[in-house]
Amino acid sequence: MEPLSLTGNYKLVVAILVGMFFGFLLVKSDLAWRKNCLNMLLLKDGSLLKTLLLSITIGVTLFFFAEKIGLVHLKVRPSYFWASLIGGIICGLGLAFCCRVPLTAIVSLASGRIYVLWTIAGMLLAIPFVKLISGWLSKSVYDWSEPIKTQQQVTSYFDVNNTALWISGIALLLGIFVHFTLGKEEGGGK
Amino acid sequence: MNVLTQKWPFYISGTVLAFMIVLCLYLFDDTIGMSDGMLVVSEYCNTAVQEKMVESPPPLDWQTGFLGGIFIGALAASLMSGTWKFKLFQEGEKGIMRKFLTTAACGLGGGFLVMLGLQLTGDSFFGQWAAAIQLSAGAWVFLIACFVVASGVAILLERRREGGGKA
Repeated sequence: MEPLSLTGNYKLVVAILVGMFFGFLLVKSDLAWRKNCLNMLLLKDGSLLKTLLLSITIGVTLFFFAEKIGLVHLKVRPSYFWASLIGGIICGLGLAFCCRVPLTAIVSLASGRIYVLWTIAGMLLAIPFVKLISGWLSKSVYDWSEPIKTQQQVTSYFDVNNTALWISGIALLLGIFVHFTLGKEEGGGK
Repeated sequence: MNVLTQKWPFYISGTVLAFMIVLCLYLFDDTIGMSDGMLVVSEYCNTAVQEKMVESPPPLDWQTGFLGGIFIGALAASLMSGTWKFKLFQEGEKGIMRKFLTTAACGLGGGFLVMLGLQLTGDSFFGQWAAAIQLSAGAWVFLIACFVVASGVAILLERRREGGGKA
C-alpha cells in the first residue's frame, strides 16, 4: 500500500474539506478559546491537556501500524536541537501572552473574536523578520548542532526498544494522572 | 449527544485529532499546518505593500485552501453551537483604553513570538504535533520546551496580576 499523495485540483478540494473539518473540530473540542488555553497553561483545567495527550497516545500507535503497512511515510522536516529548543522557548513565551497558535488564531477569528487580528498581524510580521535574520540564523542556531535523526527500526509494537510504545504509554499514564488531579473550569467559548 | 451543537468530550476530540493527522499524511503525503499558508499570505502582503497596489487575490493552492477551509468550518461550528461572539477585546481588563492596550500588546507581541519560534524550528505548531506523533526528537524538544515555558510564564503573569492590586 502507498499514500494517496493527491495532486492538482483534487488536492486543493480535499485540503479545503479537511480544513473545514479541522475548523469544526477545533471549535467543538474547545482548543481555540483563549480562556481554555490559559486555564490549561495555569494547570486549572485538564480537559485540553487530556485531549492533546490522548491524541498523542492514539496518534503514535496509529502511525506506527499505518507506516508498517505502507499507508503513510515518515514526513518530518529536518530538525536541529538548538533551533527546536530556542524555538520552543520563544514560542512558549508568545503562547503565554496570546494563548494561540496560527491554526487556533484563524478559528478564533472565524468565531467572532476580532481582536485576534492583532495576533495574526504579529504572526505575519514575524515572517519577514525571520527572512531578515536568516543569514545570521544559518551561521548560529542551525550551525551549533547536526540535524537530529529520527528513524527507528523495530518490527514488533510490543518490543521493549519501541519508542512508540513508550511514548504512547507515558502519554496515556499522564492523561490518567491529569484526569484524576486537574479540575475542570467552564470553557471560554460561552 | 448532538455532534453538531454540543461540545465534544476529550476522548472524541483526541481520537479524531489523531486520526485526522494520520489521514492527512495518507491523503497529502505531507504534514498539515497553517505556517505555510501564512507564509504565502505574508509574501502576498509584502508584495502588495511594496508595489502599493493589489492586483489579484492571493494564490489559491492547497495550503491557502486549507486556511480558507478552517475559517469556513470554524464559522459553521461556532454558529451551530452558539459560541459565535463578536469581541473586540480580550477579557480580563477594566477600562476601554487599558483593554485596548492589553489586547494589542498581548496579541501583537505574543503572535510575533509564536511565529518567530515556529519559523526557527521550520514547521507549524500542528506540523510539530504531527512530527511528534512520528517520533521526531526535534518536535518533542520543541513541544516540551514550549509547554513548560508557556505554563511557567502564564503562572508568573497570573500571580503578578492577582498580587498587583494588593500592595
